Amino acid sequence: MENKEIMIKVKDLRKEFRKAVKEPGLKGSFKALFNPKYDIVKAVDGISFEVPKGEIIGFIGPNGAGKSTVIKMLTGILTPTSGECCIDGKIPTENRKEYVKEIGVVFGQRTQLWWDLALRETYMVLKEIYEIPEDAYKERMAFLNEVLELDDFITSPVRTLSLGQRMRADIAASLLHNPKVLFLDEPTIGLDVVVKDNIRKAIKKISEESGTTVILTTHDLEDIELLCKRIVMIDKGKKVFDGELSELRRRYGQMRELKFELKNPDDFEKLSYKKDFSFADDDLSIDRTGGTVNVRFNSDVVTVEKMLSYTLSKVHVKDINVKDADIEEIIRRLYLGGGETDETADSHL
Amino acid sequence: MMRYIRLHKIFIKQDLKKLMEYKVDFLLGAVGFLLEQAAQILCLGIIFAGIPALCYTVDGVVVDSWGFNEVLFIYGFSLIPKGIDHLFFDNLWGLGYWIVDKGDFDKYLTRPINSWFYVLCEKFCVDALGEIIIGIVLIIYSTLSMPAQVADAINWWRVLPVLAVMPFAILIFTSIKTATAAISFWTKRSGHITHMCYMTNEFAKYPTKIYNTFIKTAITFVLPFALTAYYPAIYILRGESVWSLPVTVLVSLALFGISQLIWYRGISSYESAGS
Ligand SMILES: Nc1ncnc2c1ncn2[C@@H]1O[C@H](COP(=O)(O)OP(=O)(O)OP(=O)(O)O)[C@@H](O)[C@H]1O
Ligand SMILES: [Mg+2]
Repeated sequence: MENKEIMIKVKDLRKEFRKAVKEPGLKGSFKALFNPKYDIVKAVDGISFEVPKGEIIGFIGPNGAGKSTVIKMLTGILTPTSGECCIDGKIPTENRKEYVKEIGVVFGQRTQLWWDLALRETYMVLKEIYEIPEDAYKERMAFLNEVLELDDFITSPVRTLSLGQRMRADIAASLLHNPKVLFLDEPTIGLDVVVKDNIRKAIKKISEESGTTVILTTHDLEDIELLCKRIVMIDKGKKVFDGELSELRRRYGQMRELKFELKNPDDFEKLSYKKDFSFADDDLSIDRTGGTVNVRFNSDVVTVEKMLSYTLSKVHVKDINVKDADIEEIIRRLYLGGGETDETADSHL
Repeated sequence: MMRYIRLHKIFIKQDLKKLMEYKVDFLLGAVGFLLEQAAQILCLGIIFAGIPALCYTVDGVVVDSWGFNEVLFIYGFSLIPKGIDHLFFDNLWGLGYWIVDKGDFDKYLTRPINSWFYVLCEKFCVDALGEIIIGIVLIIYSTLSMPAQVADAINWWRVLPVLAVMPFAILIFTSIKTATAAISFWTKRSGHITHMCYMTNEFAKYPTKIYNTFIKTAITFVLPFALTAYYPAIYILRGESVWSLPVTVLVSLALFGISQLIWYRGISSYESAGS
């Protein structure tokens, strides 16, 4: 147990959406008009977690898992169906105006800035909105300018910015008032490697220098590896993992990758791992391009030693090596296997 | 409050700048609006060419009548509060038509200002200046061309109380727009509802007395557009319907209260959009 001040406390948070179901065609439209039927979508289905002050925490999960919905509830945009969330002692939907002074929000998918306003004016408007004193504003602007390099496009209207520029502009806008908590929903979506790198560095620096607590969602695992000590994985509205990245590796990291080059590509036919070792579908995958073969397997089912000796006894190889599966592979398996809730996963707290 | 006015000023400046950029767009909009108004006024003219005055009769006895100039005056007056609301608070239309539907309302909830004010102050609709100018022109024209006995009935001092009540007349438009736009928080889209309510505004441009009790009550108390047009105009013209001035204040405040209630209830039902 770390004895750190808790910034965000979320308990059994739920959000249900009602979706009207309509049968196809005109007849369906009529039916829907007079006797509307609804499906309940449990977008977030009982999620609990806590975040200590100053931590950067990453949310991952497949499309439609409920990540954005959680962020929207934490930022006071959506009212939870049930459950609690409490950030720095405040409940987002109660006294929203006071609450949002303390947070910054960025949605990678859509800008919150004013389309026609030049960036410089945008920040002036925000200064007005957040009632930031002149000195603090100047100092903050200088800092953000340095980490996000806004100078090149500060006089351009938002509508003319490239995606990468716009993202930097949005992030700067969310940080102008020095919030205690920063929410970033896919802050690196659609960006090139260099800009991604810049943004990651900026987030890291801001968190370190201002002690800002950061929650981010992403599909880019590099974001997670470079920024977050801790991850929360969500699937179908439920939390399936909560802990440190190394913990995830340790727990799900039995996957190994065996890579070799055949002297004679036709020899491939001689190898039948699946049959000879009776692997389950999840535990084995094979890629082959020409003579190069890539076998991913679960080393809990068959040891590395056995796999090696089997391979070498069946075929002649030019080159062979074994390595740990990377984090991406682990997550892929989790997404595919997903589903079961992991209540024991709170090892971090 | 000052903060909101300062914010609004920034956006007004911005929209004026944009206007300079998209001159053609603005001109086309203005011409379209002028044609629409001209058609309506022409209709009035044609009707009045055939009859000397619009009469209200009970059992065949003429109880009250309004000449062309008076009707034109009322018509012109009706454009002013409507135009002012349109000028400053046009963004509510967007709310009902697409902002909520697309999930773009999110951004109004993440800033530490009143969400309703934020929506209002974000847009300045220059097109509405046309409405206001036409209103003023019609008022001036109809007064200048009035027969002597109609013109003599006007007491220009009565303009002062009407001006004092004007903000409340504007508030009637803003509140109706707010309430109907806020329905979109539940239904995603409600622009057509706002539009329907605005249709009843057409009734309010003519003497209320000519309608049956149902319509009369509706446009006086429920969607009280008559309070923004016929009543204040006829008060200036003839000193009739003094009661409508305090009623305008009360009714507009009540409507405003209801609209705010719907607004805040709506926000907690707002569902954003996927992605
Ligand atoms: N406004 C809404 N109305 C109805 N259903 C919604 C709404 N927003 C989200 N959903 C549903 O809730 C579920 C979770 O969506 P959410 O956007 O939170 O997923 P996500 O984890 O952010 O996915 P992605 O990685 O694709 O962004 C999805 O099934 C989605 O269809
Ligand atoms: Mg999302």
